[in-house]
Amino acid sequence: MIHDVIAIIQDYWLLLLIGQYPNGPLGGLANTLILSALSIALAFPVSILLALARLSKWRLLRWPVTALVYITRGVPLLMLILWSYFLVPLWTGADVPSFVTMLTTLVVYQGAFLSEVVRAGIVALGSGQMDAARALGHSSLGAMRFIILPQALYNMIPSIISTFVSTIKDTTLGYVINVPDLTFAASQVNNQLLTQPFQVFFILAVVYYAICWSLTHVANLVERRITRRRAGLSGGAAPVLVSAKIVSEQL
Amino acid sequence: MSTSAAETQPLQTIRLSDVCKSYGDYPVLKNIDAEVARGEVVVICGPSGSGKSTLIRTINRLEEINSGSITLDGQNIHAAMRTRELNALRSRIGFVFQNFNLFPHLSVVENVSISPVRVKGVAANVAHEKALKLLDRVGLADKAQAYPGQLSGGQQQRVAIARALAMEPPVMLFDEPTSALDPEMVGEVLAVMKSLASEGMTMICVTHEMGFARDVADRIWFIDAGQILETAPPEEFFKTPRHPRAQRFLADLRH
Repeated sequence: MIHDVIAIIQDYWLLLLIGQYPNGPLGGLANTLILSALSIALAFPVSILLALARLSKWRLLRWPVTALVYITRGVPLLMLILWSYFLVPLWTGADVPSFVTMLTTLVVYQGAFLSEVVRAGIVALGSGQMDAARALGHSSLGAMRFIILPQALYNMIPSIISTFVSTIKDTTLGYVINVPDLTFAASQVNNQLLTQPFQVFFILAVVYYAICWSLTHVANLVERRITRRRAGLSGGAAPVLVSAKIVSEQL
Repeated sequence: MSTSAAETQPLQTIRLSDVCKSYGDYPVLKNIDAEVARGEVVVICGPSGSGKSTLIRTINRLEEINSGSITLDGQNIHAAMRTRELNALRSRIGFVFQNFNLFPHLSVVENVSISPVRVKGVAANVAHEKALKLLDRVGLADKAQAYPGQLSGGQQQRVAIARALAMEPPVMLFDEPTSALDPEMVGEVLAVMKSLASEGMTMICVTHEMGFARDVADRIWFIDAGQILETAPPEEFFKTPRHPRAQRFLADLRH
């Protein structure tokens, strides 16, 4: 079994890495990473804007965004992908590349999910911080930017990372609309070999696991560094730091 | 120039006229009429639930009012205005909270300097220098680089006072600044407030520290059920309170 896996990697590593490129579109792991990175990089700011809109005092801003978030969260991602894949060209007449369709859908979908995480982080902070910022003369947006969001986002790092990881995993669904990503490449390999589906998809699983694990690991490092800085320590054990953080937030 | 300015300036800094506020059908403030003169220290006292905190929060519009007006040097704080104007107005009224509300993600010196930089556009190094001076003044120069979570309650409240002073407000409001503190830390915060008062700062304090009220206040406002029932200098208020509710309140305090 291990021999089969090694043999497959030796034969198909380039296809799995970059797809048909340069003879065809860029695909494989490279495309998966690009799609994931772009989705996360766009969904994150979108989610902050959506969260702020949902907390806005203007109904004109709050209601449509609330509706968007509820609808998006209530519909399976695959359904959204198929809708945008078939309906957008029909409505606009434009020929949208499947990569763009997939990216847009992922940004809207994960942006909606992430906005709830961000909103929860803001609400959980309590009104005291906003009161203090307003009393000092900060504008709403200024208070958000310098006082509220740095705390809310930091507190929500674990949930935010979970959403990032699920974004990466959701890029696999691009397969159904022929986005040439790693899953697509693996299934091409599987179609050629026909007899070794377990080995092929085992490689796929290991690669996705490695990507997601790395992201989680990096996020943990970042979180620990911020915690340590805020506790005013340059070193020391994590448990102590966690208790220090809890104390500061209770006050 | 300064003399002519002093002549034209009205004596009162803050004037509350017929201020009413209610939460739904429940009235919290009823026809409040009061004045605070420049340099005056007013202590608001009264039983819990009487509307003290609500009253002080309306003065910098952290709470809205239903009717009446509150003016700072003649400018109506509750008038319809652009948020930019309101923010500028708020930055001229220092506010100290019961729970400190320091920004836990910023160091002590950043807590003090962030608002001058972000609100007033003061240069970062200038604001930093000034923050260090203010911290020195509240006795916390050595804690400048610490984070709020590492400080005691009394230290945090002194940082909160320095943070409010950094905006150079002509008026300071204190909303039960010592109520969340352990007893042995109350003194250090009151000492800072006393030194502010002695320098002529206009102050309104909601507090249960009757010793502070007696020593520092120019006038006491006794408030119950959303109404100011009695205003008097402290010696008069504590010796010969006129209103029966105030007499009962003071009698309860002595037990």
